[in-house]
Amino acid sequence: MLLSDLLLTATRGITVNKSRSLLTTLGIIIGVGAVVLMVSMGRSFQNYILTQIESVGTNTIDIFPKGFQNVGGNLDSLTLDDYTEVKKLSTVESVAPVIIIPKTVKYGREEASPSVFGTLPQIFSNYGLKISRGRLLETADDTGSKQVAVIGDKAAEDLFGSRDPLGERITIGESSFTVIGLLEKQGSALLSQLDNMVFVPFTTAKIATGQKHLSYMTLKAIGNPQLAKEDITALLRSRHNIKNPENDTDKDDFIARSAEQVTGIVNSVTAGLTIFLSLVAGISLLVGGIGIMNIMLVSVTERTREIGLRKAVGARKQDILLQFLLEAVSLTMFGGAVGILGGLGVGWLLSRIASNVLGDFSFSVSIPSILLAVGMAMGTGLIFGIYPAKRASELSPMEALRYE
Amino acid sequence: MADPSVPLIEIQDLSKSYFNDGVETPVLFHLNLKIHKGEFVAIMGPSGSGKSTLMQILGFLDAHTNGEYIFQGEPTQALDDDALARIRATRVSFVFQAFNLLPRTTVLQNVMLPLIYHPTIPSGERQKRAERAIELVGLTPRTDYLSSQLSGGQKQRVAIARALVTNPDVIFADEPTGNLDSASGVAVMQALKKLNDDGHTIILVTHELGTAQHAKRIIRIKDGHVESDTSDFTRLNTESAHNLK
Repeated sequence: MLLSDLLLTATRGITVNKSRSLLTTLGIIIGVGAVVLMVSMGRSFQNYILTQIESVGTNTIDIFPKGFQNVGGNLDSLTLDDYTEVKKLSTVESVAPVIIIPKTVKYGREEASPSVFGTLPQIFSNYGLKISRGRLLETADDTGSKQVAVIGDKAAEDLFGSRDPLGERITIGESSFTVIGLLEKQGSALLSQLDNMVFVPFTTAKIATGQKHLSYMTLKAIGNPQLAKEDITALLRSRHNIKNPENDTDKDDFIARSAEQVTGIVNSVTAGLTIFLSLVAGISLLVGGIGIMNIMLVSVTERTREIGLRKAVGARKQDILLQFLLEAVSLTMFGGAVGILGGLGVGWLLSRIASNVLGDFSFSVSIPSILLAVGMAMGTGLIFGIYPAKRASELSPMEALRYE
Repeated sequence: MADPSVPLIEIQDLSKSYFNDGVETPVLFHLNLKIHKGEFVAIMGPSGSGKSTLMQILGFLDAHTNGEYIFQGEPTQALDDDALARIRATRVSFVFQAFNLLPRTTVLQNVMLPLIYHPTIPSGERQKRAERAIELVGLTPRTDYLSSQLSGGQKQRVAIARALVTNPDVIFADEPTGNLDSASGVAVMQALKKLNDDGHTIILVTHELGTAQHAKRIIRIKDGHVESDTSDFTRLNTESAHNLK
């Protein structure tokens, strides 16, 4: 039997009962579509988050006192002297110390609760923040402990609504500040926290709060951020008298976290999530496969006489086996193709919606996921088609012909 | 070319039993027969006599239990499934009482069906051969009709065309007129007779004497034994009349 005959016979077997074939493949369509959608969306999200992190810079390192994250930890462990020494390291490009002022911000009767950072001008380049109108903080603002503030887009909107904030006076706690600059709005939802901020000079914040320790410091590394992190860790351990040759971070009174580390976490979290969701989608593929097997068994029973006839006119076992196997595989491959297109279509649509909500979200088609889906569709057809096909091929011609 | 003195079909001491849950039901007992090329043989007998079983064994649709079946001088005992399928594809063909046409399929496609399993006929020749077979049974105007659009008699003629298309050594017809009205039945028998006149060997299974009389030799089977084997129809008619009394 020629391959073309086999294909033609299988196609006829499927098209003779179109609506049933379509309903049968629905499970495969949903399964494959879900796998493609999950993997593609997982990748898209991963790319989105990584792009956002990269826009801030993967060579940024933040150093927190331990109490910043761990309840009961020391909040006073980072000092201004630590900052001065860290700044001297050859692997560190620029450092900004930060004192957070935990006060509400007022403008007239309007009240808002943005994060208020007392810091140095370096923070703007470290975080990739750009000025929209007015000017950024300058070194002179710090040395003169000026009562000036640069505010983010969200903070400006909360306090001033549609009014121009430049030159207006706001109150932080008890002190009064003049708004000298308005920052550009961040493009994405992930970084929107940066929009809800007020920056004031470091020394001004230090005086206002009376705080001697740093809330945290943020810095940019030169070259490999991992090396800079090692340098800083070694420096701070020696400054804080922490003997920690086994490099156990639990013993430290500070936490150094690089953006690179965050990238790693994002990668493993999204990968884990993608695998989990794909498994769930895979289960629906399994259910779809069982549906195919069920219908193929019904089809074999229904066409017992046809099988008998084919054998009577000379079909061999393998001709019948291949015919029914090919029918099952064709069904799943068709379902796979529709599923892939559907999955990609829905993914594209979702990413358009995400783009509106999150900003700059691009849909990333995962080629391996498509290959995987094709493989799974074909595999499902083969695995769940083999039993009915084998049953068909082993029918004795006479018994099959006699079947009522 | 086969030696004409060698019978096309020869069975020696052939028996057949069915086994159901370990219980043996014998159907055919120690049969001996020879059928030569070009014969038109009717196998007759009441239902349950074993005539259909005999045809299925001779047509390689079923296996015998004991004895020898020699086809064109070759013993068939040791043939495996694939070899049997090849014989069914090339040397024998069937016309069934229930027509067994593929539903929702055209006359042409039905007649072409055996050719897709034929190992030597090139695919380019299939349509021409099928059209010739359809012409031989007088159904050319119905070539593109679906099988469901045909009358019973026409369906059976399609089945005959399908049996013809591979140019087999022998055509087996199992009660070919059983589902037909008498006029259609006569047309089908005439078609088979014409094939025999053209040199085809035909083995017909029937329980109707009228149908059997289109053949040139009648073998009567009763309770799994050959009761009579004759070409003398006058005697046969007398016997039948006698049996009816």
